[in-house]
Amino acid sequence: MDIDTNLKREVAELINWETTLLDRREWDDWIDLFAEDAVYWVPSWVDEEHTVTDPETQLNLMYFQNRGGIEDRVFRIESRDSYASLPLDRTVHIVSNILVAGVDDEEISATANCLVHSFGKQGGQTRASLYDFKFRKNDAGLKIILKKITLIDDKLEGPVDVYHL
Amino acid sequence: MDGSFQKSGLEALVDDRVDEGVFRVDRSIYTDQDIFEAEIERIFEKGWVYLCHESQVPEVNCYFATDIGRHPVVVVRQKDDSLSAFINVCSHRGALLTPKKQGKAATLTCRFHGWSYSCDGRCVRIKNEKEGFGEDGFDRSQYDLNPISKLASYRGFIFGSLVDDVEPIEEYLGAAATWIDLMVEQSPEGLEVVPGSSTYVIRGNWKMQLENSVDGYHVSTVHRVFASTVRNREERESLKGLKQTEGGRLVGIVPSGAYDLGNGHMSIWAQHTTPERRPIFKKKEWLEANLPAAHVEWILEKGRNLALFPNVMLMDNPSTQIRYVKPISADRAEVTVYCIAPVGEGAEARSARLRKFEDFYLTAGMATSDDMAALEDTMAGSFASQAQWSDFNRGLKTMTHGADEGAKAVGFDPVSSSESWENETLFFGFYRRWRDMMSASD
Ligand code: FES
Ligand SMILES: [Fe+2]
Repeated sequence: MDIDTNLKREVAELINWETTLLDRREWDDWIDLFAEDAVYWVPSWVDEEHTVTDPETQLNLMYFQNRGGIEDRVFRIESRDSYASLPLDRTVHIVSNILVAGVDDEEISATANCLVHSFGKQGGQTRASLYDFKFRKNDAGLKIILKKITLIDDKLEGPVDVYHL
Repeated sequence: MDGSFQKSGLEALVDDRVDEGVFRVDRSIYTDQDIFEAEIERIFEKGWVYLCHESQVPEVNCYFATDIGRHPVVVVRQKDDSLSAFINVCSHRGALLTPKKQGKAATLTCRFHGWSYSCDGRCVRIKNEKEGFGEDGFDRSQYDLNPISKLASYRGFIFGSLVDDVEPIEEYLGAAATWIDLMVEQSPEGLEVVPGSSTYVIRGNWKMQLENSVDGYHVSTVHRVFASTVRNREERESLKGLKQTEGGRLVGIVPSGAYDLGNGHMSIWAQHTTPERRPIFKKKEWLEANLPAAHVEWILEKGRNLALFPNVMLMDNPSTQIRYVKPISADRAEVTVYCIAPVGEGAEARSARLRKFEDFYLTAGMATSDDMAALEDTMAGSFASQAQWSDFNRGLKTMTHGADEGAKAVGFDPVSSSESWENETLFFGFYRRWRDMMSASD
């Protein structure tokens, strides 16, 4: 399949923009990138080599069935009342390997890798993730309808929130 | 503390003068590495510890690898369906035997030089045995695996001990057994650990994790933000599946209580303001038909946290959890959380249970993460040796010795009862057990 170069550029731009908004703490603009019905999913590991595959019957680190889940997280961060989020860890996301995997009439899917360096009270640490995105295209452009983050680290040190992912 | 740990100093570390209105512990019990080493030897390696749940070794030849103190241990389901547990270490030169945390294997074959053990622990094969050990009279059984001294299951929760000299499991659990019963009797088909788990490292002492899990006093401060987030969510009404969560429990306005259950076990409860929103409420009729009324009331209306000395916590709140703590060093522990649920639970209730778990209980959740941050601050503060004491006096004057009405109704007999989960008298039992095991004669 030949994927339109403009579309590839648009997808890469959006993924880079998404993590940039997290690092720059532009929470409302970040939420706006997601469709109302967007799923946000961080599976847990079912054994050393496999993550869970069915969020309905298995335990996840996060599984939000619509955008309300990330709105909750932003509410909590902005409340300044969360012990784990005050002071807020500093983060830098480095995204690479962005590939558009498939395009059909309604959906575009893409994968990427992400390293997140964060710094907080206990010092700095780096975690890595595989990203799986799905987007919906309409006249206004692309909206995220799925962000699945496979956090390859286990034995997690310190809190993990949406800006760490 | 200089040099190695001295038993004689213990009385001074747990300042137990309840008659004078004082119960406090010296914060060096959280920070001192010599004390930590002594805890491993005298508590974890000399008494019952929790190993796993029976659903994690469901079939013959299934294994689950864990630890008792410094000893890697593997629990194995035998051919006759019974359970055995061995030191999970090859008799040859000490490589760990199981390749994974959990799995199924008819024989455990060491991946270093290839020795094999049957699942009952017998050494059944030594690679190139004849060439190495001669043709005649070689006795392979000297290399059988070391079984642990004691293994027992209480209603599916499996405990082990490296020493023989421990009380029977029912005696060890004592009043805490009723709290396990209240979880187990909800489901005629038993409980199961749901696939998936999360392990997180706390930069704090393992005892702080036990304390935190039955500390009702922090809830209205640390989890105030969870309550306000949930209220905000409900106002938005944007999340059909998740919007029905419990808010009232978290702001400190409901009936509650705390128990020193004896033998170091502790528990707290708080009334559910909206019990009909809990997954178990769908089974109300079945519960009423099959259990005494007082049990049904406890199951449906009281959110419960149980901490079993020394290393496991069982939570039955909007969701249900096994929280296992593995001590690493004085200032570090690994915590693994599992969701445990009734076998055969309906899809809707299971999904709701998981979503509530993820909301609250994980380091990626919106409450446990705040607990961890508070715990790690407490650890940082504990190094200040000129501010020496951690205080557990709250509720000391109002506690009831023995059982209150709620305990009598379901028939358990605590050392003391407290009418608020904000009270700290339950910790007396934990630190008395700790002191007694640490100072026991060898
Ligand atoms: S260490 Fe296991 S066979 Fe040598
Ligand atoms: Fe908490």
